[in-house]
Amino acid sequence: MHIPDGFLSPQTYLPAYAAAGIAWAWAARGLQRTLDEETVPRLAAMTALAYGLGLVMVPIPGGTSGHALGVAMLALLFGVRLSFLAYSLVLLLQSLLFGAGGITALAVNALAMGLAGSVAAVLAFRGLRRLNETAAVAIAAWASVVLPGLLVALALGVQPLIAHKEDGTPLFFPFGLSITLPAVLIPHVFIGAGEAVLTVLVWRFAQARKWCAG
Amino acid sequence: MKATHWLFAYLAAVVAVTLLHEPWLLAGFLAAALAASGAARWRILRRAVLAVLTFNLTVSLGYAAVSLWQGRFSAAYLLLVNLRVLLLVYLGFWFVARVNLLEACRFSPSLSFVVTLAAGQIEAFSRALRDFRLAFVSRNAAAPALAARARHAAAQAGHLLDKSVCMAAETALAMRSRGCFDDYTGLPPQHAVPQPVPLWRPHRSGAAPAAYKKP
Repeated sequence: MHIPDGFLSPQTYLPAYAAAGIAWAWAARGLQRTLDEETVPRLAAMTALAYGLGLVMVPIPGGTSGHALGVAMLALLFGVRLSFLAYSLVLLLQSLLFGAGGITALAVNALAMGLAGSVAAVLAFRGLRRLNETAAVAIAAWASVVLPGLLVALALGVQPLIAHKEDGTPLFFPFGLSITLPAVLIPHVFIGAGEAVLTVLVWRFAQARKWCAG
Repeated sequence: MKATHWLFAYLAAVVAVTLLHEPWLLAGFLAAALAASGAARWRILRRAVLAVLTFNLTVSLGYAAVSLWQGRFSAAYLLLVNLRVLLLVYLGFWFVARVNLLEACRFSPSLSFVVTLAAGQIEAFSRALRDFRLAFVSRNAAAPALAARARHAAAQAGHLLDKSVCMAAETALAMRSRGCFDDYTGLPPQHAVPQPVPLWRPHRSGAAPAAYKKP
């Protein structure tokens, strides 16, 4: 669901960078204490997997793309902070090496997919874990796709309102919320189901190798 | 110019591009960037066009359909947005082609650390995936059935994760042996450790050493 480069106005991406800067500083606090020779390999492997998943993308008419995120795996295995940092790095590498996403959209993409996606996954998992762990992982993964999808649709859909010429011609993204919300959200409801299956498989793999307490 | 200076110049250029709303100005900047990027310009341009083609085509066609239906079509907008996206992506690819990303991140040790680790993993993943694909192709004279493909994909995914973890574990142990995970916070400041005086120092003065003469 990357927002590509050039579709967000400076009125959107500059404040988003300020917010993301605060979030990155928060996430990086105590990073040295969290990372050790056991967590680093797992985190690197999961980050590389999320990077690979994010590159298989299908364009969506709403101006973004549909693809699995892998952010739920990161969040469930390593927590919100590390997951946010790792996913931000994935987005940076994808934008610089493949032109997927972009440097202007990096902060919005990172906040939506990396932070909101991780928080949604962790909260859903904690809330539902007692009922059924597999279902909790699946719902957490689904939520980690749908909530960022909603945020991305909102960020794109407000562009014609905040950046346009005097005659109303848009300067950045051309479609309003009435188009972006259904165009982005409906495909991501189904992509979320695929993400749920994938995350459950990786979760079981991680459990088999005793990466997680669960 | 140092890699870090290139990084900040690139970031400034990106912000400047998004503040311009005249297609001819963006076209001029794109032409200037093409002229400045030397022999690699067409390769970078081709990569940039391919990277933006699908998304921009989708958005442009969607915009054309909706705006024509609403009677508000603007060709200038289509030109503006496509030029802006192409220029931004071109600048990004040019930056990566010209500057070593790891060197550019050197101003932040934590950033360099994470980028090194992730870039290494991604390279290892890409290589392993290519090896697997070639091996799978070479072992199937005819096109494999869907079930065989699924089994191959599952085995490949499991192996890749294990391999990746093993490789990253090696890297992490190497980093541990170099003191990367040592936490010095809360410890009293240490006195400088006296360095042993070398018994012999190589001659490093500006003048070239005199040629050896037979006694």
